[in-house]
Amino acid sequence: MLQSTRSPASTTASSPGPDGPTDLSQQINDSVRHRFVIDTRPGHKLGEGTYAIVFSGHYRTDPTHLVAVKRIKKNADYHDGIAPDAFREIQFLSELSHPNIITLHAVFSTKSQTLSLVLEHLPGGDLEQLFQTPRDQLAYSASDFKAWALMLLRAVAFIHASGILHRDIKGNNILIAADNTLKLADFGLARAFAEPGRNMTHQVITRFYRPPELLYGAMHYGAAVDVWSTGVVLVELCIRDFFLPANTDVEQFHVVEHMFGTPTEESWPGVSSLPFYNLSSAPPKQAQWRAWAGARLQMLGGDGLEVVSGMLAVDPRRRWSAERVLRHAYWGNEPQMTRKELLPRVPGKGGKKKVGEDLKRGAEGEGEGEGRVEKVARKLDFGSMRN
Amino acid sequence: MPLTEDDLYRTSTQYKYWSFTSAQLATQRETTNLQATERVKANVARQRAARARSQVESANTSDAGSGVETGGNTPLHLGAEKEVNCLTVAEEKKLVDTFCERALELGSFLKFPIDVTATGIQFLRRFYLLNSPMTYEPQTISRTAMFLAGKLNNHNVGIEKYVAKFPKVTAEQVLAPEYLLVQGLRFHFQVRHPFHGLKGGHLEMMEMARGNAAPAPHCTETREELQKAMLALPKHARGNPQPWTVEQMEKRITQAYGFADKRILKGPAQLTDAYFLYTPSQIWLAAHLLADEPLTLFYLSTKAPPTSPLHEKLLATLRACAALLSAHHTYKPDTLSAAEKEARDKLEKEQVSALIRKLKHCRDPDKMDLVKLNAAQKRDAVRADGELEESVAKRRKVQREGFEKQADDFWGPELKKEANGTK
Ligand SMILES: Nc1ncnc2c1ncn2[C@@H]1O[C@H](COP(=O)(O)OP(=O)(O)OP(=O)(O)O)[C@@H](O)[C@H]1O
Repeated sequence: MLQSTRSPASTTASSPGPDGPTDLSQQINDSVRHRFVIDTRPGHKLGEGTYAIVFSGHYRTDPTHLVAVKRIKKNADYHDGIAPDAFREIQFLSELSHPNIITLHAVFSTKSQTLSLVLEHLPGGDLEQLFQTPRDQLAYSASDFKAWALMLLRAVAFIHASGILHRDIKGNNILIAADNTLKLADFGLARAFAEPGRNMTHQVITRFYRPPELLYGAMHYGAAVDVWSTGVVLVELCIRDFFLPANTDVEQFHVVEHMFGTPTEESWPGVSSLPFYNLSSAPPKQAQWRAWAGARLQMLGGDGLEVVSGMLAVDPRRRWSAERVLRHAYWGNEPQMTRKELLPRVPGKGGKKKVGEDLKRGAEGEGEGEGRVEKVARKLDFGSMRN
Repeated sequence: MPLTEDDLYRTSTQYKYWSFTSAQLATQRETTNLQATERVKANVARQRAARARSQVESANTSDAGSGVETGGNTPLHLGAEKEVNCLTVAEEKKLVDTFCERALELGSFLKFPIDVTATGIQFLRRFYLLNSPMTYEPQTISRTAMFLAGKLNNHNVGIEKYVAKFPKVTAEQVLAPEYLLVQGLRFHFQVRHPFHGLKGGHLEMMEMARGNAAPAPHCTETREELQKAMLALPKHARGNPQPWTVEQMEKRITQAYGFADKRILKGPAQLTDAYFLYTPSQIWLAAHLLADEPLTLFYLSTKAPPTSPLHEKLLATLRACAALLSAHHTYKPDTLSAAEKEARDKLEKEQVSALIRKLKHCRDPDKMDLVKLNAAQKRDAVRADGELEESVAKRRKVQREGFEKQADDFWGPELKKEANGTK
């Protein structure tokens, strides 16, 4: 009895009351939070994803300076403390400052220990919405395409120059600002380049955008993975449809081989020692990319096709770096790219948010509680239905 | 072109939020110490008063004696209460330095790569700029800091495996202060280290020795001339030039690298204020200066002409940084005798145990049990959120229109979504 009352545990634990003293770090946090006014009224949120609810808000001192406040949901399945996804996004976005990368203005937490990320407000929808919008509602040209592609490549080259892999590049992670600037977003899977020899997970990148080296189970990879994903996005933008949709990882494998051929030791030295190489097609498939691209990717022109083919080289060592892509003559060639302010916009985006937007998005099939994987699978049905 | 380490540093949160002048550092530490001291004294006084009250009560209601010495680590002296003897700023800093040293050992015990360990250590140092060891006990926080560093840098061992490495530590104890820690870090998780820069500089020097290095733009020398100058460097500072073969020079460069890396970057650089006061480039150059002065000065002269005022300024900074690094007790140049080393270690040990004893008597009684504290905070917050949720629900009822209702039905209530939020 005496023992138990002696122990420090017998002190009554309570958080300081409203007028009690707070830690310096708490005070800083509170002052950061106070810099923003957030609209949390139901029905007014900007959107909701698997990990977060996004509210609109603005700087307290400047109501015209809009922000998007991404409130991270508690992840009940994660037992090792605060889930690392949100941390990673904060960790990398805080360090990156580039016109084509979403700006993280601030981070704060609330009493209930939820994290909120104050992000740049990007009301123009995303690249996936852009190519999904029916042609009669949104037409775009080779000049428009070039302008978008350049902004995207600049973002990718910049993160790579900063030593960071995004690992989830896809159309709906590329958001559009009110002034039509493209912004790479969602750094929840990002990581720093790894030292050679350190193993890395291949369970990254949404399936349709996953490069061959990850499909074959490479334990070590680099910036080339993001370049592949970017190449896939560019093709999607051209054909206005998903480029390499598949239902399962194994199917993804075959879809990629179907388009680009079965890699061999000659075309990709070292491929046969990758863990899942034995799953590849026998007899080997012939690449049909050239013929297919020639027929479907007119928007690119000869020079653009060269660039995109470089980005979709199956052997990651031969795949072009984002920097090499940026140095290509394509960007200066005819047709000239569209000036940013003249770029077409996703209808209904960029101005005031339309009522029922969430519902519309929902009706496209974003069911409750879906994880990333199921969501991707669902996209296949969507894509193949229209093929 | 990859951005240089310096380019990256200039946009980093480390530069923007966690680099200071020594005057700024001192002021911040004083503020933190003052606040903690006041709070410890107030909370101890409050507890003593409460205890005195309950003693009076229990003396009145039950047999005498049962109420003696209840609660806390702050023994109750009947009669005149002793004023709590709090840590000074210098003592707090010394304690933090000590726990950084232990964290370094913990990192190698956990087999973390050095940059992960070093990140954990910087988390600890940053946290204690805004918090006092009297408020939050450093051993507890250092376990959490190392766990967080692992989690953020692809070395998530899993909490169960992690705590199994310590005797008598529960998962709860490691996780409870996590939130406190990330808030103390102001949500900045990226730490820029000098390791990479040192490696780059090392490789560059090797290329110079081999006559392959492309000279910097300002440099009028050819690569051959650079090589020739390098192979005539004096052995020691203020020594005379002497001839070297390429192999000998390569060996010398490699030795300098090893010394700078192992004895400084993986030691004193982590255990002092170096990261707060200097850039990663300055830190590795200072370490290299300690390792091999002539070589480092030569390397610098190929980067900026030795005649430029910039060079002068840079050198002064490097010397100041080198002085800071070499003053740490773990810095042991080869010139130090075994007896001197032993004496140093012994003194250090005595100082540290005295400090730890002192800390036991001046801890903030309100912050002893972080697990309970965390639970209480969450409980309070849930209550606050609960009220909010209610008023929101009411408003929703009034305001909601048809399409919104449908949308909500489709999305499902927030909580359920969360529970299903598969990854
Ligand atoms: N910066 C922003 N500005 C404006 N709206 C945004 C912004 N960020 C997100 N949104 C909106 O909020 C929605 C949810 O975003 P979030 O990034 O949380 O999830 P997601 O990417 O759609 O889904 P998930 O990450 O689960 O795959 C987006 O679809 C978008 O409509």
